[in-house]
Amino acid sequence: MAPVVGIVANPVSARDIRRVVANATSLQIADRANILLRVLAALRACGVQDVVMMPEHGGIRSHVERGLVRARARGEDLYPAIHTVAMPVTGTAADTHRATREMRLAGVAAIVVLGGDGTHRAVAAECGAVPIAGISTGTNNAFPEHREPTITGLATGLAVTGRVPPHIAFAGNKRIDVSVNGGAVAEMALVDVALVTERYIGARALWRTENFRELYVTFADPEVIGMSAIAGLLEPVGRDESGGLMVRLAPGGSETGPASDPGTTTLLAPIAPGMMAPVSVTDWRRMPAGVPFVPKVTSGSIALDGERELSFTERDRLSLTLRDDAFHTVNVAAVMRHAGQNRLLTGTPVPVSADL
Amino acid sequence: MSQNPFPLDKADLLKAYRTMRTIRDFEERLHVDFAKGDIPGFVHLYAGEEACATGIMMHLNDNDRIASTHRGHGHCIAKGVDVHAMMAEIYGRSTGACRGKGGSMHIADLSKGMMGANGILGAGAPLICGAALAAKVRGDRGVGITFVGDGASNQGTFLESLNLAAVWNLPVVFVVENNGYAESTAMEWAVSCDSYVDRATGFGMPGVTVDGTDFFAVYEAAGEIIRRARDGGGPALLECNMVRFYGHFEGDAQTYRAKGELEAIRASRDCLTILSERVIEAGVVSRDELQAIDREVADRIEDAVRAAKAAPLPEASDLLTDVYVAY
Ligand SMILES: Cc1ncc(C[n+]2csc(CCOP(=O)(O)OP(=O)(O)O)c2C)c(N)n1
Ligand SMILES: [Mg+2]
Repeated sequence: MAPVVGIVANPVSARDIRRVVANATSLQIADRANILLRVLAALRACGVQDVVMMPEHGGIRSHVERGLVRARARGEDLYPAIHTVAMPVTGTAADTHRATREMRLAGVAAIVVLGGDGTHRAVAAECGAVPIAGISTGTNNAFPEHREPTITGLATGLAVTGRVPPHIAFAGNKRIDVSVNGGAVAEMALVDVALVTERYIGARALWRTENFRELYVTFADPEVIGMSAIAGLLEPVGRDESGGLMVRLAPGGSETGPASDPGTTTLLAPIAPGMMAPVSVTDWRRMPAGVPFVPKVTSGSIALDGERELSFTERDRLSLTLRDDAFHTVNVAAVMRHAGQNRLLTGTPVPVSADL
Repeated sequence: MSQNPFPLDKADLLKAYRTMRTIRDFEERLHVDFAKGDIPGFVHLYAGEEACATGIMMHLNDNDRIASTHRGHGHCIAKGVDVHAMMAEIYGRSTGACRGKGGSMHIADLSKGMMGANGILGAGAPLICGAALAAKVRGDRGVGITFVGDGASNQGTFLESLNLAAVWNLPVVFVVENNGYAESTAMEWAVSCDSYVDRATGFGMPGVTVDGTDFFAVYEAAGEIIRRARDGGGPALLECNMVRFYGHFEGDAQTYRAKGELEAIRASRDCLTILSERVIEAGVVSRDELQAIDREVADRIEDAVRAAKAAPLPEASDLLTDVYVAY
C-alpha cells in the first residue's frame, strides 16, 4: 500500500505582538493554503496518493479545497486525496496534539508541519518515531529550516516512498525536557528554553531582554533569530552535534555599549525579526546530553521556543535535561542530494557520465 | 506578600478587577431585571468579555476616544462612564446618561471620551477615524479605539475605515471582539479570508490576535499597540478571541450553540476567575481584598438600580431637546 502522509497546518501561527513591536511577517491564510498546495503537488509527483490532515477552523482547508476544485475544473489531476482526522476542533494546541496522536496511530509515514516553532513542538510531543518535515509559517522560526516548501514536499515524498535509504532520509533531533517538581516531563522545547522574570504569560512573545535570565538551547545558530541566535553568537553549536549550550544573562543590557555590571558582556543579538537588542551575558557553558540542569532563577516564567508558557514560583523545583536523538525529521538537504546523485527523478536511466 | 511579577502595580490590578467585576455584576443584574420585564428596549450583555474592554481601557485617559458597539455596557464602564447614569439610561429615566432617550445602545459620555454605543453595526469605525484625525491635527497625543464584532467586521464601513486610517496614518486601534457568533451565525460561515489579521495586513497595518479572556494578554498587547499609535506609529488591529456568557440579546434561546458549550466556557474561560486566580496565586492580592471589592460593587449596582427606579421618566416635551447641536 502506498504510504499516507499526515499534514498539520496551523492557522494561528504568526499572529502575536511581534507584528507590532517588530516588523514580523504576517503570512496570510491564503498563502498558507498555497504553500500546502505546492507540498501536495510534490508529494503526488512522488507517488503519494493519500494525505490525512488536521481539521481547523482557520480557513486553510477551505482555501485548499478551492484550489482542488479549480484544478479539477481544468481537468488537472495534481493532488493526492485529502482526508481529515475525525476529531472536534478547539482552536488550541490541543488540536495539534490530538491530530498528531491519531496520525501516528493510523500509521502515517511522515507528518508535514506548517507552523512556527510552537506548532512543531506540539507535533514533536506526540509523533513518536514518525518523522516530521517542517515548514516555517511562524515568526522567529529557528526549528524549521527556511526553504521553498515544494522541495520539502519532494524530499518527504521521496523519503516515504522508500527511494532514499532511511539512514540518509531521516535525521535525529535534540530536545530539552523541562520537569517541574520532579514530576514526569512537564514540557519540552525543540530549540530553546528561556527563563525570564515576568511571572505572567501575557502576550507570550519574548522581547524585553532586560528580563532574560537563563537560556538553554539545543543548537546555537548564528544564522537564525531569537534565543538560539544569542547562544549562536557566543559559541555556535550545530543541530547534528551532541548537546547544546547554556547561557546566563543579567539585568541591564538596555543600552548598547559597556555593560552595566563589570562581570558581564553586552551582546547585540537579533532577538526578533528586525529587532537587534542588547543582552547582558554573564557566562555560558556547554549543556551535555542527559545531564539535568537546575536553574538559579527562582521565580518567573518558562518560555519554550520563544513563547512564555508556564510561570513558576520559589516553591517550584525545575530541572532541564537535553536529549540527543529525541525525534526524527526528514533530512531534506540529504534526500535532495541523494536524489541528484542517483538521478531519482529521471524517467529513464540516463548515463552516469556525460562524456561524449 | 511576594514581589509583584505583573506589569501593573497592586492598585492597578485592583482597579482592573473592580472594573471587570462591575461590568459582570451590571450585566448579570440586567439579565435578571430584563426577564422581569422592568427594562424597555433591547439589551446585549457583555458578560464573559470583560477582560477585553478592561485590558484596553487601562491604557487610556479621558482625552482618548472610543466608539463602541451594540454590546457597549462593558466599554462604557471601563472608560469611566458613571454606572448610575448608565443604569438610569437603560431604565429610560431622565437622570440617565442621555436623559433616558437613548437606552442601552446609545449610551455616550463625551467628557469621558466615550463617543457612544451604536445600534448600527460597523458605524463606530468611521467615527473613530474622525476623532483620531482631530487628535492628530491637534497634536495632543490622543488615540481612538473602535470596537467591532466578528460579524460587524464585514461591514463596508469597517473596511473603508481600515483603509482611511492606513492612508492617513491615524492613531486608531481597531479592536475585533471575536466571540465566535454574529447573532446565531458562527464566524466560519460568514467571514471570508478567515483571519482579521489578514485583513489588517491587506491594508498595510499590523494585526495581532490574543486570547481575549486573559486580561494580561489583552493588556500587554494593547499597551504596545496604543503606545505605538500615540507616538505616531499609525493604526493597528487587535483581535481578541473571547466568549459571551449570555444570548445575543436578552431573550435569545441560543439553540445554535453546541450541547454543553455554555457550561464549558463558563467553567474554563471565565476571565474574572482567570484573573483573580492568577493574582492570588502570585501572592500579590488576597482573596479577602477581592471579596471586599465584590461587596462594594454589589452595593453600588444595587444602589444604581434603586436610584434608576426612583427617577422620573422623560416628559413628552423632552422629545424636542438635544436633537440638534448648534455649532
Ligand atoms: C447595519 C446593521 N445590520 C444589522 C444589524 C442587526 N444586528 C444587530 S447585532 C448583529 C450581530 C452582530 O454580531 P457581531 O458583530 O459579531 O457582534 P456580537 O453581537 O457578537 O457582539 C446584527 C446582525 C444592525 N444592528 N446593524
Ligand atoms: Mg460576535
